[in-house]
Amino acid sequence: MVVGDASGAGPQPLLSVRRLKVFHGKFEAVHGVDMDVGEGEIVSIIGANGAGKSSLMKAIIGQVDRVEGDIRFDGQSLAGRATADIVAGGIALIPEGRRLFPSLSVEENLALGWEVGRKGEITLDDVFELFPILRERRRQKARELSGGQQQMVAVGRAMLSNPRLLLCDEISLGLAPTIINDIYKVIPSIRERGIGIIVVDQDIGRSLAVADRFYCMLEGDFSLTGRPRETDRDTVMKHYFGL
Amino acid sequence: MRSSSLQTNIVRSLRILLLLGIVALTFGPLYLDLGHLRFFTEVFSLLVLAMMWNLVAGYADIVTVGQHAFVGIGGYAFYAFAAKADLNVTEAMIAAGLLSLLIGIPITAVVFRMRAAYLAIGTWVVAEVCTLLASKIPGFGGASGITLPSTVIRAVGANVEARFSHLYWMALALAVVCFIATALLLRSRLGVGLMAMRDNEEAAGSVGVNIVVCRIVCFLWTALFLGLAGALLTLQNLRIQPQASFSLIDYTVYVIFAVVIGGIGSIEGSIIGVAVYIGLRSAFSDYGNLYLIFLGAVSIAIMLAEPRGIWGLVRRYLPEDVIPVSHRYRPKTEATPAE
Amino acid sequence: MFNGFLNQIVQGILHGGLYAMFAVGLSLSVGVMRLINIAHGDFIVLASFVLFTLCTALGISPFLAMLIILPPAFVFGYLMQHVLLQKIVGSSNILPMILVTFGLSIIIENGLLIGYGPNPRKLLAGDLQIASLQLGGGVTVGLFPLITFGAAVALIFLLDLFLYRSRIGAKIRAVSDDVDAADLIGLSSKRIYAIAMGIVAMTIAISACFMGIRTNFDPSSGPTQLLTAFEVVVMGGLGSLWGTLFGGIMIGVAQAVGAQIDLAWEVLAGHLLFLLVLVVRPQGLLPKE
Ligand SMILES: Nc1ncnc2c1ncn2[C@@H]1O[C@H](COP(=O)(O)OP(=O)(O)OP(=O)(O)O)[C@@H](O)[C@H]1O
Ligand SMILES: [Mg+2]
Repeated sequence: MVVGDASGAGPQPLLSVRRLKVFHGKFEAVHGVDMDVGEGEIVSIIGANGAGKSSLMKAIIGQVDRVEGDIRFDGQSLAGRATADIVAGGIALIPEGRRLFPSLSVEENLALGWEVGRKGEITLDDVFELFPILRERRRQKARELSGGQQQMVAVGRAMLSNPRLLLCDEISLGLAPTIINDIYKVIPSIRERGIGIIVVDQDIGRSLAVADRFYCMLEGDFSLTGRPRETDRDTVMKHYFGL
Repeated sequence: MRSSSLQTNIVRSLRILLLLGIVALTFGPLYLDLGHLRFFTEVFSLLVLAMMWNLVAGYADIVTVGQHAFVGIGGYAFYAFAAKADLNVTEAMIAAGLLSLLIGIPITAVVFRMRAAYLAIGTWVVAEVCTLLASKIPGFGGASGITLPSTVIRAVGANVEARFSHLYWMALALAVVCFIATALLLRSRLGVGLMAMRDNEEAAGSVGVNIVVCRIVCFLWTALFLGLAGALLTLQNLRIQPQASFSLIDYTVYVIFAVVIGGIGSIEGSIIGVAVYIGLRSAFSDYGNLYLIFLGAVSIAIMLAEPRGIWGLVRRYLPEDVIPVSHRYRPKTEATPAE
Repeated sequence: MFNGFLNQIVQGILHGGLYAMFAVGLSLSVGVMRLINIAHGDFIVLASFVLFTLCTALGISPFLAMLIILPPAFVFGYLMQHVLLQKIVGSSNILPMILVTFGLSIIIENGLLIGYGPNPRKLLAGDLQIASLQLGGGVTVGLFPLITFGAAVALIFLLDLFLYRSRIGAKIRAVSDDVDAADLIGLSSKRIYAIAMGIVAMTIAISACFMGIRTNFDPSSGPTQLLTAFEVVVMGGLGSLWGTLFGGIMIGVAQAVGAQIDLAWEVLAGHLLFLLVLVVRPQGLLPKE
């Protein structure tokens, strides 16, 4: 179901997903979805636990057993490409659960993002400017940081890959509201650079608030898509729970 | 998978064949010559070793590379009981098995401090220690070993024919007892627990058995039967010697290769593996080192391509096991009423 | 008598350097990819035979031969991981790992038996092998054991520097921390594993050189080196580099003390110490940072 004008991605979207099915072994987690993300666009994907949001993110980055359908980035098919290649080509993922390297220092964690990435204009200093606390903690091991600081490192690490498309999987999970604010604050500034962003979050309100468009996922399918401002809350909730 | 009556018939015929085989083998000494008697005696011993390695590695998740320790302990214990304590041959054999079981307890205590691959190599260290200690026990011939006294040899049989026949029957009896007992063990609650663990860690808890205890029981179970096999092998070889009685190659390496080729995780696989191994050996053993390289390469290839071995391949086309041990745990959704 | 004993202890410590060298590669593969390679010892022996062949064919010193084979050793390790070992790491089912590396061990041992026969060999390093130094208190140490120990310390130091100061080192530690996370952010664990294995193979080549000069070796010496390396790794705390030096010294000293009682107790003493440590402190002797 489409609400309002949902074709926000322009003539040639940065990312275009067509009839995508995602498999974990024999299990089909996503059942043939279509999605577009344009340059500098923020797209939110909402959905209950197990809806298939992370599966979709992992499929884009090339980390699932098998996919069917088409994923195009900048017009180029991503089929069969290795994750390292995809990341170097300009897509970065902030994985669900942060997934820092606990025994590496903050600086080393961040540097890895640069190493694997596209080598562009965003540098370590830019990240330290956005998250000043990380500059102080740069020599500390990642495991010694608080959850919020760890999430900042995870965001910074992905930014340092200089992506053209940034995938954020559950960046507010388990964090205090003030910290979530700090982290969400940087998303518009990332978009300013023309980077397309996909935000996956359990915190529906916050994720819809930053988004230009949204997709609601229900048991592996998109049950609703549209613009947050043009869609009333009840419709969203109905499709969220599949009522 | 719906099974055709043909497939069911194949399973039935295989079962009948297995039973007929055992019956036919029971009368072996009536129609086999000495060479073949000796050959089959060895096959039966090997079968025990294979079933035991399969039990621990295929079911209990203990990939031991030190099972020759218990074979050697059984051999040395047999010598002690038969030649030094003057027990009769049967008593000495049983005593040797029990002593192996007893020594297995502290060994278990030590190696179970490790897990997974560490445990595997730990068993090897223990076997190494046992081999070295065996050459240090006074009265057992040191590094060069010692021959069984002729009284013991004659107690098995007055002449060569009688001796070979008796040894044959002893080995057959051990193999059959080991086979039935192990199959029953796997059918028990303990076996169900182990199979549940193998299929799915969480499910194991729901079966309500303590997995650690199950694994220890399995390990000690093999200590007993490997000790018995060691005693029997000593009777066949007529002597003990550290390197030979604790042979890594004969009692562990070949056995692992045989089980993997035949199919790990099923008794059928062990039987097939031993048969294939023996067949390959009689065809290629003249090639010596090359033959070992070949065996090693084949097992690597099987492990990577078809981890369940020959039996795993065959089993795909059969509706059920020939040797019905697996009350295999099934997830609730697939639960079907009893056939 | 006491001096004799002290002398033995010192020899034991120095010998421990060699054991640490065996173990350092295994420690790396355990630490980075959770791989216990049963063929580790056989690879050391294989490298010794390669060095032996180079030395006899070209008439060069074993050290030069070692330098020559370092780059091919890296490539060999890299390809070994890429083609074969990659298939057996990263699974909770350890059977393929044990079986494949065990099969490799048998293949290498028998291949060497076909190529070189069962006779023991030794690498020749001229006067270096017999020169010795008088230390105070009646302690005499061979020059070569001393060099070996120094080389072991240097090797561990360099590896430590590499892991903690280089970019590739950071990547290796990252993959060791969380291999799935590495793959998620585009750090190809497969490639990093292969590089790590290449480095392991280089440590194998180095330790093969020192072992070959120090002791006799034959095609079936592999398992002995493996078990020693394994014990050293466990005693030193899994995956800890400096721990291997400590573990090596422990085994070396235990063997030296065992040798005092009776020559046959030499090997046994090392194993027994290992089992004892296992019972008392299964996590290894050094506290992990
Ligand atoms: N590696 C995997 N193997 C098998 N099934 C998986 C795997 N990963 C996810 N699944 C299944 O795929 C479905 C979708 O999972 P996914 O993680 O994509 O959901 P999600 O929308 O991200 O949920 P959450 O909000 O809890 O993160 C679930 O049913 C899950 O059980
Ligand atoms: Mg998710």
